[in-house]
Amino acid sequence: MTGQAQLLPGTLDLLILKAVSLGPLHGYGVLLRIEQISRGALLVEQGALYPALYRLVRQGLLKASWGTSDNNRRAKFYELTAAGRKRLRQEADGWNRLVAAIASALGAQPEEI
Amino acid sequence: MKLWAFLRSLASALFHRSRAEGEMDEELRSHIQRRADDLQESGMSRAEAERLAKVEFGGYQKFKEECREERGGFWIETVWTDIRFALRMLRKSPGFAAVAILTLALGIGANTAIFSVVNAVLLRPLPYPYANRLAMIWSTWGKETRGPASGPELIELRNRSRAFEEIAGIWVTSGTITGTAEPEQVRLALTTANFLPMLAEKLQLGRFFAPGEDRRGAPPLLILTDGLWRRQFGANPGIVGQTARLNGNNFTIVGVLPRDFKLLFPDSRMADVQVFIPFLDDLEKNTRDTGYIRMVGRLRRGVTVAQAQSEADSIASQLRGEAKEYAEQSLHLSVLSLQEDDVRSVQPALVSLFAAVVLVLLVTCANLANLLLSRSGSRRHETALRAAMGAERRRIIRQLLTENIFLGCLGGIAALGIGWVALKWILSLQPEGIYLLLAAKLDGWVLAFTLVLSILTGVLFGLAPALSVARGDLLEILKESGKATTGKSWLRQLLIVSEVSLGCILLVGTGLMIRTFTSLLRVDPGFHPQNVLTFQLSFSGSRYGTVESLTNFLKELRTNLSAMPGTQSVGGVSHLPLDEGLGNWYSYYWPEGAPVQQQNTVMADHRSTLPGYFRSIGSTLLAGREFEDTDDASHTHVAIVDDTLAEQTWPGQDAIGKKLSVEDSPTGPFQFERESVVVIGVVKHIQAHSLTSKGRGQIYLPVPLAPRPVYSLVVQTTAPMQTFAAYVQQAVKKLDKDMPVSNLRPQMDYVKKARAQTRFVTLLAGALATLALFLACIGIYGVTSYSVAQRNREIAIRIVVGANSADVGRMVLRQSGLPVVVGVVVGLAMAALLTPLLSGLLFGVHPIDPLTYAEISLVLAAVGVLACYIPARRATKVDPITALRAE
Repeated sequence: MTGQAQLLPGTLDLLILKAVSLGPLHGYGVLLRIEQISRGALLVEQGALYPALYRLVRQGLLKASWGTSDNNRRAKFYELTAAGRKRLRQEADGWNRLVAAIASALGAQPEEI
Repeated sequence: MKLWAFLRSLASALFHRSRAEGEMDEELRSHIQRRADDLQESGMSRAEAERLAKVEFGGYQKFKEECREERGGFWIETVWTDIRFALRMLRKSPGFAAVAILTLALGIGANTAIFSVVNAVLLRPLPYPYANRLAMIWSTWGKETRGPASGPELIELRNRSRAFEEIAGIWVTSGTITGTAEPEQVRLALTTANFLPMLAEKLQLGRFFAPGEDRRGAPPLLILTDGLWRRQFGANPGIVGQTARLNGNNFTIVGVLPRDFKLLFPDSRMADVQVFIPFLDDLEKNTRDTGYIRMVGRLRRGVTVAQAQSEADSIASQLRGEAKEYAEQSLHLSVLSLQEDDVRSVQPALVSLFAAVVLVLLVTCANLANLLLSRSGSRRHETALRAAMGAERRRIIRQLLTENIFLGCLGGIAALGIGWVALKWILSLQPEGIYLLLAAKLDGWVLAFTLVLSILTGVLFGLAPALSVARGDLLEILKESGKATTGKSWLRQLLIVSEVSLGCILLVGTGLMIRTFTSLLRVDPGFHPQNVLTFQLSFSGSRYGTVESLTNFLKELRTNLSAMPGTQSVGGVSHLPLDEGLGNWYSYYWPEGAPVQQQNTVMADHRSTLPGYFRSIGSTLLAGREFEDTDDASHTHVAIVDDTLAEQTWPGQDAIGKKLSVEDSPTGPFQFERESVVVIGVVKHIQAHSLTSKGRGQIYLPVPLAPRPVYSLVVQTTAPMQTFAAYVQQAVKKLDKDMPVSNLRPQMDYVKKARAQTRFVTLLAGALATLALFLACIGIYGVTSYSVAQRNREIAIRIVVGANSADVGRMVLRQSGLPVVVGVVVGLAMAALLTPLLSGLLFGVHPIDPLTYAEISLVLAAVGVLACYIPARRATKVDPITALRAE
């Protein structure tokens, strides 16, 4: 697909945390939310979502519970825990610093050296 | 991990596996369904949409596997992976694995064996109903504590006590039983009717004695042990109601005890009782001052031993006020829990051995920690690499700990084998005093103990190395690129110091035990057991009812034995020295004419003696003469005393010709008469009960004045045991075909038995100390070799710049020897604090015996230096060119 970027390693967890922070979601919902908030620019391998979700649950950043979705199907919903919220803030800050640093590095002009 | 979370993930991992699996499947499938729904809405056919959704999802099984790994509770699989990894690591270094597992097996195995003994003797409750409520009640006679009670005492106590539910009594003697096999001399117990029901749930066959069947005039009844029932009565299931001949009288057999029944009382001779009969006497009508009954009681539920003791104190004081006999003996009663009283004599020994074996385990741990630290060089590199690749530090520590615990468990499994062998060996030492020991086995408790110990050991020896490996700067470690590091050398030195000092404590303790044992070997017990053979005869029964029949039998037997080739001298006595198989016979005596207040104050052992006894047993006659056949009731009543008694009674005077008031002529069962005897001889004191304490004075009376139911013949002979035994059997049979001969053995056996417990403790302590020394040597050797290998380059440079090989050797010795010396000093200091606790086990040596301490420090230092020397020599052989080129 064109116009879509592969995810950098380690960023999937951050994206999931962000997606879930906007409201409880089931797995497919997380996928849609990521596509939505990245305006379709990021490509998530659908199956890879789940190991990441399980990992975040085990780390206590997300909690999962079974409920009913809009179309009356049983679904497992994920929501952010307090630890997850904290982690999201940290990771987002770290990411922003990294991006800024990379951007400034890439934007360097010969005369600035 | 928090305990709750840990348990929850364990539970879910174990029990909810399938449910979690199902939910995972459902979640993944519903994702694909939703995707297909969305695709269908955008205009695809359902089949097409589902196919595409599956493709987009990717490798379904692969992701499921990944989910499984990420899910909580996966730690079980992690542990499994870690164990497999540990196995791979061990296979890669089989030398290390072998040394580690062997060390662990020895350390833990020694613990397994000693614990199984401690468990059997000290921890397991006695095999009786309500065992924790059983208590011994001892009577105090003046200075004699732990004495037997008289009949009236038992009845009075039983009537007055509210603390005890039941109080029973037993008196052990010996008798001859004739069933369907040859007549056999057996240990016989007279009991109150409530004695056996207190100690056995039920009988194998028949019934207990009923209340009232222990009174005078009741029909003679008898209960057998399982062993005697099998041996004498061919395990006849219809035995109840039949008659057995006991001491020439007919007794009706009413019951057979369960197979595993055993009398486990403080008095070891009770363990062999095979026949029980009721007292058949009105105990309250006995004389008040003849004590012979051991009392045992069952406390009421909720009553403590201390409460029972204070009640017994007040009853004793009432009794002292009511009867002059009790006042004269200054009667006191002491109540002791049966279990505690049973193990009283062995507890200090076992506790010391257990402490020793724990020290061995600590040495083992120190040794393994050292071994692991030696490996940590290569492991640091490996773990740093794993950390660099993203493994968490906690994860690495856990992996290393799992590895060590796994190693501990492997050692534990091997330890069970070692423990089994060690226990076999311990049991083969047969320390006769510790009869509860025979029940020692590798049961569930011992297995659980070994398992816990293995895991603890794994954590203990593995924690420090694991932390040290997982710590440290990744980059630094990786830069070293596999070069081993010299770091942590202080930790290794500390481990050597502790190994040596722990080993030092064990060696000092063992040294003191060895000294105690050699002191025991040197004790002069007042007789010479070399070439002295003995056997026992029992004369209870109507055939020997008169003094004449008894003396005639003994006289004829003596003549027969004298005629045997090799015989040098024949004698006999009612109690052999150091034979604790019979109840001791002791009572008050006083010099004739002593004022009343001096009477009933001093006791002496009373022995009934045959002519020739002192010569045969190798005792020394200090003055006067031995007994002769003419010393009987119709001539002057005579006695021989020992020097202890003579010195005590007539200090500084000649005892010969002095008169004593003694109480030994029986006028009925447990009824004795005082009489006056003239001292005709003084012999050297014979240690009758123990090698370590002198004991009471002794009075010897001729057989006609003091006939007893049991005599031991004492023969000094050059004949071998086999020939002697055959001859004796025949000689006795000729005089009385129904007379069984028992305890045919050299007098030396009794001496050995008296040394048995010390020998047992010494051997075990020796084995443990040797093990500790061996482990410490391995440790010292390992550390020194390692440091020499580490410093190859440095040594090479030293040699290049002109150090000669002697300098190098001295340097290595100095540096490796220092922790050994420090360890010895620390160990001696700790031993000086600890060995006074052993004083109860020691004899003839001070707990802080300077000679032992000096010897041990020399031995340990020498061995330690030797362990350093071999690697130090290797250091002197370093070839500088090769060593430097290797870098």
